[in-house]
Amino acid sequence: MTAVVSISNLLRRYWAVALIVVGWQIWVSAAGLSSIVLPGPLAVATDFAGDPLSYAGPAGLTFLVAIAGLLLGFLLGAGLAILSWSSRILNGLLTPLGLIFTSIPVVTLIPIIARLLGYDVRTVVAIVSLICFFPAFVYVGAGLRALPPGSDDLFRVFGGSQLQRFVRLVLPSAVPNLMLAFRLTAPEAVLAAVVAEFLMGTDGLGYLFRKAAGEFDTERALATSLIATITSVACFGLALAAERRVLRRWT
Amino acid sequence: MTSARSQSFVLGLIGVSLFLIAWEVIGTYRLAGLTWPPLSTVLAFLTTPAKLPLFGRAAAASFTSVAIGYLCGACGGLILALASHLIAPVRPGLDRLVAVIHAIPSIALAPLLIVLASADATPPIISGLGVGYIFYVAATSGLATASATHRDLFAVLGASRFSVTLRLDLPSALPAIASAMKLSVPIAFIGAIIGEWFGASRGLGLLIVSAMQNFQIPLLWSAVLITAVASLAMFALFSLTERLVQERMR
Amino acid sequence: MSDKPAIRIDRVSKTFRLGDGNELSALVDIDLTIAPGEFVALLGPSGCGKSTILRLVAALEGATAGRVTIEGKAPADLCQSHRLGVAFQDHALLPWLDIEANVALPFHLAGRSVDKAQVKDLISLVGLAGFEKARPKQLSGGMRQRASIARALVLEPEVLLLDEPFGALDAVTRRQMNVELQRIWSRHSITTLLVTHSVDEALFLADRVVVMSGRPGRIILDLPAPFARPRAPSVMRDPAFHDMVDRLTEALEPEGAHA
Repeated sequence: MTAVVSISNLLRRYWAVALIVVGWQIWVSAAGLSSIVLPGPLAVATDFAGDPLSYAGPAGLTFLVAIAGLLLGFLLGAGLAILSWSSRILNGLLTPLGLIFTSIPVVTLIPIIARLLGYDVRTVVAIVSLICFFPAFVYVGAGLRALPPGSDDLFRVFGGSQLQRFVRLVLPSAVPNLMLAFRLTAPEAVLAAVVAEFLMGTDGLGYLFRKAAGEFDTERALATSLIATITSVACFGLALAAERRVLRRWT
Repeated sequence: MTSARSQSFVLGLIGVSLFLIAWEVIGTYRLAGLTWPPLSTVLAFLTTPAKLPLFGRAAAASFTSVAIGYLCGACGGLILALASHLIAPVRPGLDRLVAVIHAIPSIALAPLLIVLASADATPPIISGLGVGYIFYVAATSGLATASATHRDLFAVLGASRFSVTLRLDLPSALPAIASAMKLSVPIAFIGAIIGEWFGASRGLGLLIVSAMQNFQIPLLWSAVLITAVASLAMFALFSLTERLVQERMR
Repeated sequence: MSDKPAIRIDRVSKTFRLGDGNELSALVDIDLTIAPGEFVALLGPSGCGKSTILRLVAALEGATAGRVTIEGKAPADLCQSHRLGVAFQDHALLPWLDIEANVALPFHLAGRSVDKAQVKDLISLVGLAGFEKARPKQLSGGMRQRASIARALVLEPEVLLLDEPFGALDAVTRRQMNVELQRIWSRHSITTLLVTHSVDEALFLADRVVVMSGRPGRIILDLPAPFARPRAPSVMRDPAFHDMVDRLTEALEPEGAHA
């Protein structure tokens, strides 16, 4: 009974995705496309199942690089947001710059960073952290100023010092925004890492993909895409779970 | 009030100027190596008459991709959002589909699209998918923002499903849709550029990647600057629209 | 009671500068003295500046003319020495802290170690025993206000400031909270300034009711509420209580309106 319910639940949520996968397989089989042009989902799955471990190394590397860049970017972005919170002048200087950089396609800076820092895995980390830096700066900055109603007056009447106000009121107020930025940016971090690896040919999923595509091994290229998608979804899922957990505790 | 406002404007202007000066100084004294040109060099390169046709062709190709992707993405996202709003049972499936498509790194989508469509159709499609996602998410949540009281009012007045959507849900969704218009601008540009990185025959993205590989530093920075300024201008325009809509709807 | 006033509002005026360059005169020549241990209610229509008076006493605003002193010193001094308690209409509980931690917050802000017994006593005094670990969002509006009153009292302040603390509650809960506050206050007898627009609430809780007129705010009536303490809810059915409610309500009527 429960199995039937959960299958119908699964269908309710994934009918559209399933439709596309099945349609793709039927189209490939019916049109008799060569697997170099476009393999069907079955062929891709078979290729992956044949040697799943060969994907594990690059996927792990990309995942780690994305996480490292994400954390570094958030540390710098949140740090600068706090600095800019503490100084009205610094805030005035930085706010428009932050706005400008969130309204331009930062991904196009990847080739510039690659040229500046050299083709290296550390450059990938730097690129990911640059991509994550601006959302962290903007969202945490807004969070530091979104205090619960009345709490500012409360702290003044109770005679809290500036430090106490910062530690007990301002910082905790920014946590929900920090988590929101984290969830929004986590998939972008994986995307940025894969694109950077692809462009520079450094190790990881992006490189694996480039190699497979270059050898016309389309099955392998698509399987790599699939793994990249799963990695990105996993990052998003982790960030979402973390956000929910924190928000339960925080609001 | 007004003095605080003009003060923050002046500070912002100083901030941007400092950034541009830093760009110039770092380039002039090669503080970041040879691959960081001073701003003046980039601007001089950009305005060289001989280079204009090159930039013009590339920008025309890329901006066309952005425009097509943006329009199709916006319409597609809105239509899907309306569908999932009007036909409740399809909503969970559409939500997942949109989320899964969004989660596929565009790098993985590109080769598929090159096979299915063509290399030159890939940039607008990737751009449109990114834009469509933003519009879908904003519009579905915007269409649900009308208050319970208003809904009750329409029910008591005997409004049809269609007129509730037209006269209540859509107007309430306008601010969210206006925000989506603004927020999807950089996404549209990113989609077009990444699409071009996978073998388009022309465009700013192609220019950027070939300049990177061939150490054409002023060309690289110029192409990126054009993209950034175009995105910034479009973003500013839609920010204005967003503000107008929000003021009108308040 | 000593003769020295606890709160002295000495010919205070307050003018706000508006965004368009104009000025708004919120308070004109307010003169009010509150004795130690006295409970004074400020009653007035909305926008009459009564909350501004409370904010002046809380050192959240500065006077344009005149002087506010608490025990002869500037209100800011009292804030700095953590001897002021306050509750606002918006409960201002921190959403990331549970009730116990919210009530204990003033100890942290005063740099003192938390007196756990005191926190526990106050939580049960306001009727929240058993909800120590609950989060603000899990409680009803009335329960949140109880928590915010417990927080206001936890340091045993010299002066208690209440700014429409029950303004957002429904009538039934509000009356119940008035009864509770009356009971709690009888235990502590702290110098208290309550800002409200409810005549019943002011009369039931306070030793003295001060009525203000609207824009710019002036004091137009200052009446003692001569009911013996502790006051039972039955006081509100007393004919004398009704007479005073009528008088105060009449004083609140805008000029020109029919009495």
